[in-house]
Amino acid sequence: MQTFAQYLLGSVGFGGIYALAALGLVLIFKTSGVVNFAFGALASLSTMILWAGIHRLHVSVGIAWVIAVVAALIIGGLCEVLLLERLRRAPITIQIVLTLGLLLLIEGISGLVWGYTPKGIPLVIGGKSIGGNGFFIARDDIFIVALTLVVALVMTVVFQRSRIGLGMRAVAADRETAALMGVPVRRYVLASWSIGVMITSLSAFLVAPKVSLSPTMMEDIAVFAFAAAVLGGFGSLVGAVVGGFVVGIAANLIAGYLSTNYQLTLVFVLIVVVLYLRPNGLFGRAAVARQ
Amino acid sequence: MSPASRTVPGGRAAARIAQWAMVGAVVVIGVLFPQVYGQDFYAVTIATECIVYALITISLNLLVGYGGQISLGQAGLVAIGGYAGAYILEKVPSLPFPVELAFAAVLTTIAGLILGLPTGRLRGHYLAVVTLGLGVAIPQIALNLTSITNGRTGLIVNPASIGSLALASPVAIYYMCFVVTCLSVIAIHSLLKTRTGRAFMAVRDSEQAAAAMGINVQRTKITLFAVSAFFAGIGGDLFGHLQNLVAPGAFPFSLSLFFLAAVIVGGSASLPGSVIGAILLVLADTQTTSLPGFEPVVVGGVVVLVLLIIPGGLAAVPATLMRLRSRQGRRRARTGSLASGAGD
Repeated sequence: MQTFAQYLLGSVGFGGIYALAALGLVLIFKTSGVVNFAFGALASLSTMILWAGIHRLHVSVGIAWVIAVVAALIIGGLCEVLLLERLRRAPITIQIVLTLGLLLLIEGISGLVWGYTPKGIPLVIGGKSIGGNGFFIARDDIFIVALTLVVALVMTVVFQRSRIGLGMRAVAADRETAALMGVPVRRYVLASWSIGVMITSLSAFLVAPKVSLSPTMMEDIAVFAFAAAVLGGFGSLVGAVVGGFVVGIAANLIAGYLSTNYQLTLVFVLIVVVLYLRPNGLFGRAAVARQ
Repeated sequence: MSPASRTVPGGRAAARIAQWAMVGAVVVIGVLFPQVYGQDFYAVTIATECIVYALITISLNLLVGYGGQISLGQAGLVAIGGYAGAYILEKVPSLPFPVELAFAAVLTTIAGLILGLPTGRLRGHYLAVVTLGLGVAIPQIALNLTSITNGRTGLIVNPASIGSLALASPVAIYYMCFVVTCLSVIAIHSLLKTRTGRAFMAVRDSEQAAAAMGINVQRTKITLFAVSAFFAGIGGDLFGHLQNLVAPGAFPFSLSLFFLAAVIVGGSASLPGSVIGAILLVLADTQTTSLPGFEPVVVGGVVVLVLLIIPGGLAAVPATLMRLRSRQGRRRARTGSLASGAGD
């Protein structure tokens, strides 16, 4: 029982990271209908900027975070303006493959600029783990969980309670009608790309100290985050958070009790089983296919 | 989700002649290539790679373009085919090549059937994550099932043989892949004209309408996955011979993305498109290996540029040009996308 509890506590950090990454993915999907497969690469790029802020500009970690967050907002916006906006009318598969191309392009460019040697990023909150009696949780993990919950809460409140959220939901429900009703569709889609990439970048800033930073750092994380978003029902913010923690905890329990060799495989087996029982994810609604 | 239209109204006879001329040209170039470049093993190997990738891209296009199903795990099926061929050749070294190929294809088809089973309930992103799971799981299983797969080192692929003839030289492997791919393309082309092939497209366009026409939607989808896996397995066996080795590292997730990109860059639901898309991306990839670090930039750049300029993929170029020429005036009024059928 004690080991079980410790596995649970040890998995919340990565759970939060998957949840945060999935939130960014889901936000973009909700308003623009595009699954942004480049989300991991874009987040790695922002983290490279964070590293450059600390090690090239020699600013403090806090200021480097601010610079990197602003950079992430700009990167997300540029993707939308330069690429996705131009293919807005193309079938959705084409838009998805466009983001796959972008994934390679961004990874390649960060590789050329910063190289593939792993780099270190400082923990946001270091120091000893908290707890006793065999139960420990890292301070950094507490920060990750807290930040994830705050971001999710703010997003949910904005979506459900504010005029901006109403507009975003209108765009998600029917873009054409929303435009006819005078909703500034372009602005909302742009904002969701900007903020979505920024939120996924936050997860990358948090994971970088745990695994070392490289242009391909987010590849595995992105796979888990994508699975988390789907598990949660792809389109549900609560679902993304729950999905992230479920995937994180499942991965850790599988590694602890069954096998580290088959960790990834078993996580996917679990997801397939869940999807077979609930074809629209844990929190998804059986909606008509979005086209 | 509907593909760029392939038939051009009017000039149908001309289009047919052009099609046959193109097929003839491809076959002549394909047959003559090693006669001209036979001494240059590097060029022959790259050409073989283009052929094998074209076949795998077509197998994925069956699923994505003709069937309207998404797959992010085609490399997993390719890996099964590759390992199956390598394993059986290791056990029975004198096995005739057609038997080996059939073994790889059948084993991969079974995997495809299993993958196709939940598709009755899953679509869109849910299907994407299931196929993604396959693509990620297969290399991991190959890495750990050491008794069969020899773990990280992988299996050496013995040369294929027909009777006493060993197909070991790059030119022999080239012709082997060329013949198998040509036969597969003919089979796929014919299949698409049958009742089953048309059922694939009917299900893609509307599941409800297809069901109303008496098509068993679920069975059609499972067949589609099985057929796609069959040809992916053949491609995987050829892939193994091309590389002389199958190892878990040879089938990363990015390989699945590569095939998907080749389908879309070439043009969905177009066989010539898949061939062109695969060749373009293989060349973009192999021609940049001398510039370390530029590979992903060039491949990614090609994908992004092609889609920005011609969203329907390269196969849409002739149709787009003809339509622009024939109804320029009308088109100016409708400033829709270049990809016809985008709004279906």
